Amino acid sequence: MARYGMALDYKNCINCKACETACKEENGILMGADKHRIWVGTGEIEGQYPLLDLTSNVFHPSQCQHCDNAPCEEVCPTQATYTDENGVVRVNIDQCILCSYCMNACPYDARYVDDRTMTVDKCNFCAETRLARGETTTACQNTCPTKVRIFGDLDDPNSEISEVLRTREHYSLKAHLGTKPKLFYLT
Amino acid sequence: MEVEISRRKFLQGTVAMSVVGSAALSTNLLSSSHGSSAKPGAVSFHNTKTGSDKGHDVATLCEMCVNKCAALARVENGVVTKLNPNPMFPKSKNMLCARGNAGIQALYDPDRLKFPMIRIGEKGEGKFKRVTWDEAYSAILNGTDKFPGLSTILEEEEDNRSSMLFCAGEGMAEHTFKQFYQAFGSANWLNHASICLQTVASGYGVTLGSYPQADLENAEYIIMAGANRAEAIVTPDTMDLFKRTKGRGAKMICIDPRFTNTSAKADKWLAIKPGTDLAFVLALTYVTFTEELQNNEYIETHFNSYEEYKNSVLENKYTPEWAEPITGIKAEDIYTIARDFAAAAPKAVYYPGRRSTFAKNDFQLRRAMAIYQALHGAIDTKGGLIFGSKIPLKAHEGLQPLYEKAKARAVVKSTNKEGEAGYDDCAVVSGGGSWIGWRNRFLDGKMPYKVRGMFCYKHNPMMNMPNTQKTAEMLRKMDLVVTIDTMPSDTVMYADVVLPECTYLERTDPIKTFGGVEPSIAVRNKVIDPMFESKPVMDIMKGLTTKISKPLFEISKKFDEEIQDLIDEDGEEEAYAEFDLTLPFLHTQEELNHHAVADYPGAAEKLHHDGVFYPKQDDYYKQLSANEHQYYPENKKSYSVRGGKPVTPSGKVECVIGSFASKGIDPMPVWRDEYEFSVPAGKFKLLTGRHAQFTQTGSANNAMLIDLMPENFIWINKRVAAEKGIKFADMIEVSSSIGSTRLKAYPTEKIAPDQVFFIHGFGEESEALTWAYKNGGNDNAIIEDTMEPVYGAAAMHETNVSIKKV
Repeated sequence: MARYGMALDYKNCINCKACETACKEENGILMGADKHRIWVGTGEIEGQYPLLDLTSNVFHPSQCQHCDNAPCEEVCPTQATYTDENGVVRVNIDQCILCSYCMNACPYDARYVDDRTMTVDKCNFCAETRLARGETTTACQNTCPTKVRIFGDLDDPNSEISEVLRTREHYSLKAHLGTKPKLFYLT
Repeated sequence: MEVEISRRKFLQGTVAMSVVGSAALSTNLLSSSHGSSAKPGAVSFHNTKTGSDKGHDVATLCEMCVNKCAALARVENGVVTKLNPNPMFPKSKNMLCARGNAGIQALYDPDRLKFPMIRIGEKGEGKFKRVTWDEAYSAILNGTDKFPGLSTILEEEEDNRSSMLFCAGEGMAEHTFKQFYQAFGSANWLNHASICLQTVASGYGVTLGSYPQADLENAEYIIMAGANRAEAIVTPDTMDLFKRTKGRGAKMICIDPRFTNTSAKADKWLAIKPGTDLAFVLALTYVTFTEELQNNEYIETHFNSYEEYKNSVLENKYTPEWAEPITGIKAEDIYTIARDFAAAAPKAVYYPGRRSTFAKNDFQLRRAMAIYQALHGAIDTKGGLIFGSKIPLKAHEGLQPLYEKAKARAVVKSTNKEGEAGYDDCAVVSGGGSWIGWRNRFLDGKMPYKVRGMFCYKHNPMMNMPNTQKTAEMLRKMDLVVTIDTMPSDTVMYADVVLPECTYLERTDPIKTFGGVEPSIAVRNKVIDPMFESKPVMDIMKGLTTKISKPLFEISKKFDEEIQDLIDEDGEEEAYAEFDLTLPFLHTQEELNHHAVADYPGAAEKLHHDGVFYPKQDDYYKQLSANEHQYYPENKKSYSVRGGKPVTPSGKVECVIGSFASKGIDPMPVWRDEYEFSVPAGKFKLLTGRHAQFTQTGSANNAMLIDLMPENFIWINKRVAAEKGIKFADMIEVSSSIGSTRLKAYPTEKIAPDQVFFIHGFGEESEALTWAYKNGGNDNAIIEDTMEPVYGAAAMHETNVSIKKV
């Protein structure tokens, strides 16, 4: 029993896509631009050469926010989406009927359709792979060259993530929606 | 701060993800993974989800690029299901990039070379027949009705062993192949240096005595010029740097003609005109001298010809105001950078970089950078450039017989008084040679003797050097081309005999020692047995030399009087022992690796199990957090090993190298008018480069990486594109004086109106590459074969092109 979360030192991110690749290899994700559990967002540069706005080109890793109040779970008519004993928001593919309510309800655009199972897929913090083997890191955290990610148990006051969240400023995405994400962006 | 980019927006906004590309990809994938080519049990990337049981890990080293990062390969039922970072290696510090993760797709690529093959079609046509290894070796020795073998060539060339060229790409097993070259007795060796880092390595080499590393973990001020560490990943530099940028300890000034991911992480990005970095450094140096910012104490002890260089810079008036119109960088920025750099020194780095030669003045640029760094005493110090230390390995014996009839390296004429061999097209004959110089001399009929064939290991001359058309012509003219590779590359298409090497995950390679602040020894251990009929190059060399050694000795006996004398004196058996080509390949790689570390108790076992070894590792190595590890305690790190003393023979920083003058090379860095950037009206300067999901042509057919970036796009300034009516993804024909290529347009403000850019490595012509075939544009089809004058390195940013929507 744990309550897993992730802190992201997003300023370290260089958009190298190691995390996306590690996620696909670890979890057997389909190929394709619209088939990924995690991604790095970036905007087109603003300004005119050579006077460009450096801050417009920030790299922003994102994925399922594993909300404590997950809108996707609320709208799921078949309880396919559920929060497991470790606080990870997951999908039971046997119950998913691809009604896609969850995809519309998710404010973070974190869900997509797996064409093999024709069910909705999303990040599960490597629950079926690494966590199932008793490992304590996700594939994306483990592989990251610049160490953007810290994964751990938010309920354990001695965990690294708890320590970081106590000592460093951070924010959540769309905090005003009251979804209570378990992803924290460190500033 | 709130940045929100949704999945949909992200898809629209990024060039790398084209929906068309990915749709095409899954179709191809399906056909290839269900085709007869895939070995049963091989995984396609549909189902590489790792299992929930423990599996087992093998410690290996990545070969998706040159960095050699440490990886742990997870094996389940004989199948590699995941590559993870090996945290124990100080160089790669617990990371594996996108390419490292995608190594599985290199292993299970359905297009891999699976069997030895010999040519049955016309040269370059790519028609081969599958043969056994023995038949392949026999074909190399005796030829077929399509091509002559070694015995014919050496017979006709009267045992001139140099009638065969040997070339190799960078890699841990290059050493093994090079031993074959040495034993064979040819003097013609070409490697990647002259299309890679020859000028930077040598520029620092002659000035400081070493091509140093940068301590980016501790530098407080970094000039990152013409180096793109966010996209051209170098370990540990990339990891050390970007954890500290953006107001977190390291101030970074990025100097680059185009806006890169590195620029995005900089405190300041200055768009420099291509090829004018030398003027920028000279102007920085001018400010250093006029404002007395240099470290006089360091200079007094460690410099040669300091006054001469200082006078040159001052007398030539390399002022920031002079540099402004040349470089496009404002004088006030140059003053500020010079002052800030000096204030931060010795924790200041003008980053040496690691890349191909771009401009003709690159060697002089590197010299000027090295001297500028040294003026501040930021050499062999924490936070500056460092020499580091290295853990020695025990050497093993090779074989370098002397053949009387083997002619010296194919060089053109003597250019200096000492009678040293030289080229007529560049000043210095370097170990790795000048690839395009050699190729062009071969085509122009300027060889002093006939070179009739080549052995090509892990090397793709068709795609890796400027002027693809000329390389094709060279390969067509070679009587015998033998390629050793994992993939059916464009070069392999021109082979007479194709020998399939196994991938890096299927072989143990020569052990390697990695110097630096935190030195260690690491090894690439075999993860699974070689698939199909592929073999490690060590085994290939063993098989080949067993076949050819004796018959070739018989030819030598005919022509080589020294060998005849030797036989008369010692008898044939003893004489042959000195020419037995099989000798370097008698031991297994594992045995050789054991021998190399025999001086360190327990090292061999540790390397086998953990992949990494260094003395006192068990005491020093600690996991500090989920992400961080300690390799050495702070007081045991090799920041300073020589008290700042350069490694040159004189022990001094060499500002002036007099001997260059006789070769027509400036003895110290000076600016020349012909270095100025200019583009004729209506044309664009072509820039090429890298990004973090692709390693040149080596990863061009990697399904996972192509999924991240399905093809390359040409960057065209947005305003220029609008003027020409060019929109995103429009097909563009790019032409230079030597050829043309086609790829899609990416209008962006990240590039200047008079320049265009695209990523190197795309646009293969080998039909045997499912994903890479005719995918995007090939830069080398249009980059002119311009050489820089010192080493004959290919200068890759000297070509003007025109663009046209088609």
